[in-house]
Amino acid sequence: MRQNRYEEEPAVSELTRRGFVKSSAAAAAGMTVAGALRAEEASAEAGQEPLVAYVSDPGKGEISVMRGDREVRVRDKKLAARIYDAGR
Amino acid sequence: MSSHREAPAISKDPVADNTDLYAFVSPEDPDTVTIISNFLPLEAPFGGPNFFEFGDDVRYEIHIDNDGDGRPEISYLFEFTTEVRNPNTFLYNVGPIDSLDSPNWNRRQFYKLTRVDKGRHRVLASHLACPPCNIGPGSTPHYRELAKAAVHHLAGGTRVFAGQRLEGFYIDLGAIFDLGDLRPFQNLHIAAMAASPGVNDSNGFGVHSIAIKVPKRALTRDGSRPRNPADPRSVIGVWSAASRRRATIRGSGGHQAGPWVQVSRLGMPLINEVIIPLGAKDDWNGASPADDSQFLGYYRHPELAGLLPVLYPGVFPNLAKLTAARADLVAILLTGIPSGIVPGFQNFTGSTLSDQLRLNMAIPPSAHPKPIGLIGGDAAGFPNGRRVFDDVTSVELRAIAGATYPLVNSSYTPDAAASLLTDGLGPNSTRYLRHFPYLGDPISGYQTKPLAA
Repeated sequence: MRQNRYEEEPAVSELTRRGFVKSSAAAAAGMTVAGALRAEEASAEAGQEPLVAYVSDPGKGEISVMRGDREVRVRDKKLAARIYDAGR
Repeated sequence: MSSHREAPAISKDPVADNTDLYAFVSPEDPDTVTIISNFLPLEAPFGGPNFFEFGDDVRYEIHIDNDGDGRPEISYLFEFTTEVRNPNTFLYNVGPIDSLDSPNWNRRQFYKLTRVDKGRHRVLASHLACPPCNIGPGSTPHYRELAKAAVHHLAGGTRVFAGQRLEGFYIDLGAIFDLGDLRPFQNLHIAAMAASPGVNDSNGFGVHSIAIKVPKRALTRDGSRPRNPADPRSVIGVWSAASRRRATIRGSGGHQAGPWVQVSRLGMPLINEVIIPLGAKDDWNGASPADDSQFLGYYRHPELAGLLPVLYPGVFPNLAKLTAARADLVAILLTGIPSGIVPGFQNFTGSTLSDQLRLNMAIPPSAHPKPIGLIGGDAAGFPNGRRVFDDVTSVELRAIAGATYPLVNSSYTPDAAASLLTDGLGPNSTRYLRHFPYLGDPISGYQTKPLAA
C-alpha cells in the first residue's frame, strides 16, 4: 500500500543503530524485543512513548521502527539477529 | 453497492469502509461546493447498545486534485475521539438526549478537522461535536434539532458535519447480485421471471457521513472564482479515503504507531464494485489515484459489458460485437470528458488516468435537476460531480451497455435497451434534505421494521 503524498517518510538513514537501540530500550516495559537490549543504553531523553520495531527481513537485517506517525527503516544484521534471538 | 463491502479486506473493516462520495455545487449557496463522504455500510438503526460511530483509530480523508496530476493539492482530514461520561452502565444513554452536551448521553464523539494545502497542515477546528445515533422517541425525541446543532460554522464560510445520516444511495442489491438481474427487465433475463418493480434494499439503513461545504475559491488552483465552464481551472477532482496506522498492538491498552496507510478509497461510484476484479480490489483500495493506469485494462474491457449479452440473450447484439477498447469509459471515468464532446461542457483534468469524481464548478446548480444527470441534459449532475439523488446505477449501467460509445465512435449504434437500463429505482426511494448536509435524518431504531421473512 502506498502513502499519500503529504505524508513525507523520513530518510532511511535518519535513525542510527545507536539511536535505534536507545529508543527501543525506552519501550522495554511494553516491547518484547526491547528486553534483549542493554538497560544501560536507555536514556531519559528517549521518553515514555512506546514504539514498534518490525524485523521485516531478518536475513538482510531490515528493521522498521515506528513511533508516533513516523516510520524509519534501518539495515543492521547484528541488531536484527539479536532481536530475532530474543523472540525465540 | 456503490462501494459498500466492495472488496474482501475492507468488507471485514466496516468502520473504515468508504461507501459513497458526493461533490456538487451547493444548490442554495452556489458560491460553495459541498463534499460528502460516507462510511460504515448498512447500519441497522437498532444496532445498540453500542450504536455505530466513527473509529478513533481511523483517519477519514477528503482529497482535492486541482491541477490534474491525480495527487491531492488540498485535503481535509477528520480525526475522532470518543469520550465516555459514565463507564459504569451498559447504556448508550441514561435518559433523553436533548442537547449535544446532555449529561444523559454517555458515549459522545468529537473530531478535529485539518486542512492540508500543498503539504501544509492547518487545524481548522478541534473538539467539534457529532450528533448521537437516532435511538428512538424515548432517547432522541427531537433528533432533527440534535443534528442541526452538529452543523458547525467555521471561519471563512466553511460548514462541517460528521455523524449518522440516512443512506441516500438506492439500489436493488438483492436482484443485481443474483446474476445481474434487473427486475424491470427480468422477463428477458437468462433465468426469466415476470418483470417487476425494483426493490431498494438500502432503504432505512444508516451510514456515517463526513460533510463539508467550502467556498469554491478555496478549492481552485489559484484561488480564483470559477465562472467559465471551458476554463480548466474550473474543474476539480475529488476522492475520499480512510487510513489506519501501519502497526497495531492489541491488548494491554493497545497501541498504534507508524504512518497512516490507506485502506479504503472512493472517487467514481461502483468502480471497485464492478470494474475492478476480485484479485485487484484490495490493491485498488490501497493505491493512489495517480497510479490508476495500472488498472486501465479493466476500464477498456469491463467484465460487465461482456456479461450483459450473455445474461440477456438477444437483447444486446451490438454490444456483443463491440470488442474495441472502451475509450468512452476511459474518458468518463479516468480523465473526465474533454471539450467538444458534449456541447458547452467539459470536466477534463488532463492525460493522467485517475479515478476521481470530477466537478466543473462553473456549471451552476440546475433549477430542474434530472437524476440521470448529464446524459439527460442536466450538466449539473453526474458525472459532473455527483448529487445525493443522482441515479448513478442507471447511468453507469447504460454507459457500460454501450450508450456512450458513440461519443468516441459515431459509426456505432447502441442497442435499443442500452439507453433504457435501470434497476427500477429513483430518488423517491429514500429522502433527502434541501440544505446542508443534504442526506436525510436517519430513522430511529424504534422505527425499524423487520425485513420480510
